[in-house]
Amino acid sequence: MTAFEIDARQVPFNNGDNILKAALNAGVEIPHFCYHHALGSLGACRLCAVEVKPEQPEQRPRVVMACMEPARAGLKVSVAAPAALRARQGVIEFLMTNHPHDCPVCDEGGECHLQDMTVACGPPYRRYRGRKRTFINQDLGPLVHHEMNRCITCYRCTRYYQQYALGTDLGAMRLRNEVYFGRFQDGPLESPFAGNLVEVCPTGVFTDKVFRSRFARVWDLDTAPSICPHCSVGCNTLPGARLGTLRRVRNRDHAELNRWFLCDRGRFGHQYTEHPERPWQARVRGQTVNYSDALGAALDQLQRAGAAVAGVGSPREDLESNALLQRLIIRHGGFFAAFTDPGIEAATAHAVRYINRMGTPTLAAMEHADAILVAGELTAVAPMMDLGVRQASRNKAKVGVIHHVADPLATLADYDIRLAPRQTSVALKRLQGMIATTAEQSSGDEHGLAQLAATLMHAQHPLLIGVVETLGAYGVAALAKLAQSLGGQAALAYALPGPNAYGAAIVNEDGATQKVLEAVETGKVRCLVVTAADPLGDTRTGWRWREAVGRLDSLIVMDCVDSATVRAADILIPTAAWAERSGYFINYEGRVQCFDRVFERDKPLPASVAVIADLANALDLGAGEPRVAIADLLPGIALPLAGEPGIRLTPRVRLDVPPPIESVAGATGHWQVGLASWYGDDPLADHAAALSSLAPASTATIAPDTARIAELATDARVMLRGPAGSLPLPLCIDANVAEDTVALPRSAMCQIGVGHGGYVELEAMP
Amino acid sequence: MAEQPNQNDIHPTERIKKDRAAIVEVMMELQAKRGFLDDQDVIEAARRTGLSPTEVEELASFYTLIYRRPVGRRVLLVCDSVCCAMNGSERLLNTLERRLGIALGEVSRDGAVTVLPSICLGLCDRAPAALLNGEALGPLDDARLDALLLELKRSR
Ligand code: SF4
Ligand code: SF4
Ligand code: FES
Ligand code: FES
Repeated sequence: MTAFEIDARQVPFNNGDNILKAALNAGVEIPHFCYHHALGSLGACRLCAVEVKPEQPEQRPRVVMACMEPARAGLKVSVAAPAALRARQGVIEFLMTNHPHDCPVCDEGGECHLQDMTVACGPPYRRYRGRKRTFINQDLGPLVHHEMNRCITCYRCTRYYQQYALGTDLGAMRLRNEVYFGRFQDGPLESPFAGNLVEVCPTGVFTDKVFRSRFARVWDLDTAPSICPHCSVGCNTLPGARLGTLRRVRNRDHAELNRWFLCDRGRFGHQYTEHPERPWQARVRGQTVNYSDALGAALDQLQRAGAAVAGVGSPREDLESNALLQRLIIRHGGFFAAFTDPGIEAATAHAVRYINRMGTPTLAAMEHADAILVAGELTAVAPMMDLGVRQASRNKAKVGVIHHVADPLATLADYDIRLAPRQTSVALKRLQGMIATTAEQSSGDEHGLAQLAATLMHAQHPLLIGVVETLGAYGVAALAKLAQSLGGQAALAYALPGPNAYGAAIVNEDGATQKVLEAVETGKVRCLVVTAADPLGDTRTGWRWREAVGRLDSLIVMDCVDSATVRAADILIPTAAWAERSGYFINYEGRVQCFDRVFERDKPLPASVAVIADLANALDLGAGEPRVAIADLLPGIALPLAGEPGIRLTPRVRLDVPPPIESVAGATGHWQVGLASWYGDDPLADHAAALSSLAPASTATIAPDTARIAELATDARVMLRGPAGSLPLPLCIDANVAEDTVALPRSAMCQIGVGHGGYVELEAMP
Repeated sequence: MAEQPNQNDIHPTERIKKDRAAIVEVMMELQAKRGFLDDQDVIEAARRTGLSPTEVEELASFYTLIYRRPVGRRVLLVCDSVCCAMNGSERLLNTLERRLGIALGEVSRDGAVTVLPSICLGLCDRAPAALLNGEALGPLDDARLDALLLELKRSR
């Protein structure tokens, strides 16, 4: 039997487990500091001392480190043995010689591992009266606060930061009693996963700087199980609120998704809920009104418009709002779309169908791939998928990245393939060709594609990950075909554009976005209802929406952040942010997850779904029950509760996917536009003060070779021209950008009216 | 110093694949200029090896023979690991501080010498042991210590 005994309790274990790991898995507490499930054992802190009973009569009991001692059947372990107790007490007493007496002013207090362990194992009072070692703290940027004096040298931080997250700008410096955990010099931590230091460090060395600016003791926080609203991964979180404001977000374990960690967008993006420009007051044509007046005005407009109405839902809005708005609008005789850009709609719809047909791996499963191809800038779109790829890479997976701008993953990749946006699907097709006809290897191996093809072909568990927004429908299909050509063992995953993009795709009908946009453009729509979307701020289609909404009688907007669309609204109904309401998102795996309401504001705002239900009921459309709308959409699914691991949708329909046609419209200039994104780039997190202060500067970035050919100097300013207008930007030259590509941030793309892969004219300014 | 290609022209992957193992030699070479590494030298070592400045600092601040501050013309490394500690390294260090008039890590006023504690020098058979610019000394009993101090004074 594979079990051993801890103080008369039977503890099961897996082969290769150490005593500590098996004990913690079985819910048996053994004090420890340096051991961490994700980081393994180090044997550095010596707190996990336990006594092992002699197996032979002539032997004596031994005190061992539970994290270093392999679990064996028949082992008899005691945590309570006096010798082990004394050893642990000694360790704590030593650690406390240098630790400051600052629990009352320490942010970690109340959830501090050191505090808990000291109370649990330490001596009751302090004998040491000497000087304490002190350090100078560093400014680590706006997200993480540093207080080095509290360090107990467990090395969890650097093991996490360097070995797990593969960051290079935080390290362990100096030696002896002066080991210092920090950066070479002051400056913001560079890793998109830096915030996890706050939870990894067992003391108050690294704490949440955003939370610190509006601090509350952990026991005073209102919390509830939630889901991150910032991307399609759907990491599980535990937001904390106090006195009607949201203060912080912590990780909440999900065994198949995020487990111990979050990305910094997920951890610090929540500040959007406290943004000063957040819409709080309902408005009708510039006048501040109360909710019922705004609702009345909206009803009036809907009634007047008759069937000439349209509704726009959103991949960042919950399932019930999308489903209910669709019902309301369709029953009213109008058009509904859950997207604002037909290109994104098509790409998402295709991705969802391929996932539906071919299945997709959990985040945890991605770590076991032995060859990975990432098509697109994954870190910027679904950061925790990037962290999964990093684990696979640590497990010796070969990683190939096809990207068009500087990309954190590409710097770690074995195959770093830089291609202009429109070359990506060409390369994917070429890879597929190489795999289909193994012979076609050597015929001019551009960009190391042949090696990558061979690696994927010979892998046991190849994994292909595509970024839907930049791949477009054509690239999405090309990636799926590539996966199919690799045979049954290949796994396929897509980073979808939004926390509920999957849900939006199943509510949406094919081609609906184009229909709605055209109907608005041709004046067929008098009243447009938009919930949690910013059509006017779109990159590719924003300028068309901006022109088209001029033809409406009324634009009704519900949202919880400021946007171009909110500012253009005739009737604005501010809605609750995700933590102020409950709802459902469907993540990239097709997993339906529920997030609970965490807190209520002094003046609560309604959830979008409640507003839509009020409208539907007042219009007597019989569409007003969110649960019914979801039940119709997902027949036979028992919806999960908040805190549960969620329910993965099994393929309901075996849809044949019509191959998308690549559009080449809009070719006006020589330069292909590539989206320059970063890990904080998200319609909600853009409004998070601390996080967005780290956003890269707005520049037009091109490759050195391209700059040479175009005779552009480093310090030049350039004028960009697109269908919606022109924009001057400083030029930046960067070897990480693909040739013939100009990388632009989203806001610049929106102003000139081009999407990723579109063309612009660019010229040097005098 | 060899001509370095422009940072922007080297692709990151190639940079990372450059031999990181050269770091100790690179630090030694940079240190040879002035006897220690300043912040610019750390950045330069990072640039040459593909390590990050933090990774270079981890090594620079760990290795006893790399100095991040100015040191004297001669550096006396006094072992304070187990064998030497049992054989009086603490007294030795105190005596050196007192008789040279400098604290550990400081440069004597004439720039001649810096005394630093060190982990085991591999001279445990000669405990308490020390290393003077690479030359092994020990066991440093009172007589040998006097001779050493005399020599340090003469070489000033
Ligand atoms: S900073 Fe925190 S995590 Fe890092 S070694 Fe010190 S106590 Fe451990
Ligand atoms: S990866 Fe996505 S879901 Fe997970 S924490 Fe980051 S933004 Fe949130
Ligand atoms: S947890 Fe075992 S030594 Fe630290
Ligand atoms: S202990 Fe001093 S040289 Fe080894």
